[in-house]
Amino acid sequence: MTRLVEVPTQFDDRSFDQFAAAYAQATDGERLLFDAHAAEWASPYGLVGLLAAGEAAARHGERPLLTAPANPDVVSYWARAGFFREAGDLFEVHGKVPRTRPAVESDVLLPVTPVRAAEDVHAVVSTIQQRASAILSSELGLDPKATMGFAMALSESCQNIVEHAGTGGWVAVQAYNWRRKLARRVVVIAVADAGVGFRHSLEPTQAKRFGERWGDAAALEAALIQGTSRFRDPGRGQGLAGIRRYLARWEGKVAIRSGTARIAIVPRWDDDVPLKDGLPAFPGSQVLLIIPEQESGGGGGSSQQ
Amino acid sequence: MIPHIMVQAVLRQSVSGLYTDLVTRPTGRAVRENIERDLAPGTIAVMDFTGVGCLDYSCADEIVAKLVRDKVKVLLLRGLTEAHREAIEPVLAGAGLAVLCERPDGALEGLGASEPAPALLDELVERRLAARNPGGSIRFTAA
Repeated sequence: MTRLVEVPTQFDDRSFDQFAAAYAQATDGERLLFDAHAAEWASPYGLVGLLAAGEAAARHGERPLLTAPANPDVVSYWARAGFFREAGDLFEVHGKVPRTRPAVESDVLLPVTPVRAAEDVHAVVSTIQQRASAILSSELGLDPKATMGFAMALSESCQNIVEHAGTGGWVAVQAYNWRRKLARRVVVIAVADAGVGFRHSLEPTQAKRFGERWGDAAALEAALIQGTSRFRDPGRGQGLAGIRRYLARWEGKVAIRSGTARIAIVPRWDDDVPLKDGLPAFPGSQVLLIIPEQESGGGGGSSQQ
Repeated sequence: MIPHIMVQAVLRQSVSGLYTDLVTRPTGRAVRENIERDLAPGTIAVMDFTGVGCLDYSCADEIVAKLVRDKVKVLLLRGLTEAHREAIEPVLAGAGLAVLCERPDGALEGLGASEPAPALLDELVERRLAARNPGGSIRFTAA
């Protein structure tokens, strides 16, 4: 039997729970058909999240199917964002997919890129420093020195996969005009994996401390707010704390979804909730970082979204 | 003789490829283990970050904090960019550790937790590895 999992027409962190709810209906052994034919737009978070879903589905059943977006502009954008290069290994893809190479000169600062080992993190950090510097300073109005902090935040986000997920994952970085929320340019980092998730990773060292409260939400709180790590090494847990410091300085946002919970550090321009529990279960962890154009900054530039 | 560690050169020896960034725990571990091989316990060492690109928190902890915690008595850092300092400072401060840092004008200052830093400066002055300037700042003289 094949189960249909609809990809939301506007696929981002806000509509991700709708997607996760459809995914969570699946039972072991069912073949999944991810239907993106009606997709009109997907954020980097949506794209890497879809890959994570594909990987998890393949682990529990037959190789999943994916219907590519029917809109030629949308499917072309997904291709330029590097999505289909990765999707081809995970899904049986149906629909017309252009043979476009991932973008090298555009708002796609980092196409969808697999992260499996420390070497991948090195490559990602090296690429982003070459490509993000101009956009961060000239378009987002960030101090040129902030580029290095951006690379640090990216490195630490990717390392969560290498160190904790128990499997590979993906990262993507894009810049775009965020009309809906801010009417400003933003740079978005999205990282997703279909690994063990925060609760499983932290359970051996943290579950007892939380007692009956232990669960996905408590694990996210322990990691992001308290800076705890599954390692007993006293220097561990620096990465997420560093990301928080960087984002606080530039009024950015971090949100992490894992299992059935989602935690966020919410800047004043956003109306997200700090912690949500009882969400539809979804494997692994999905991290979202948003850095907005600074209010006194330059701004402008073209948009694809 | 005070060991001078050129971090970028150690990075090149420690990991394959032409990376100039100190990122990821495994990279930091490899670099630290390479450095430790040539360091006697309780030593005073100079570590030069010139040419190092991005330094993330994991590497700052794995290299700087662990050397200070387990291996060296005084660690003097030079060639630091502002971004390097931003990675190292909170990692050291969170662990109650400190290093000395040489500013571009040659003056030494503490980086990390504020409490241990004065003792590090005193140690260098007592060993005549650093001297007080008339203006009150302290300069490393052993280089």
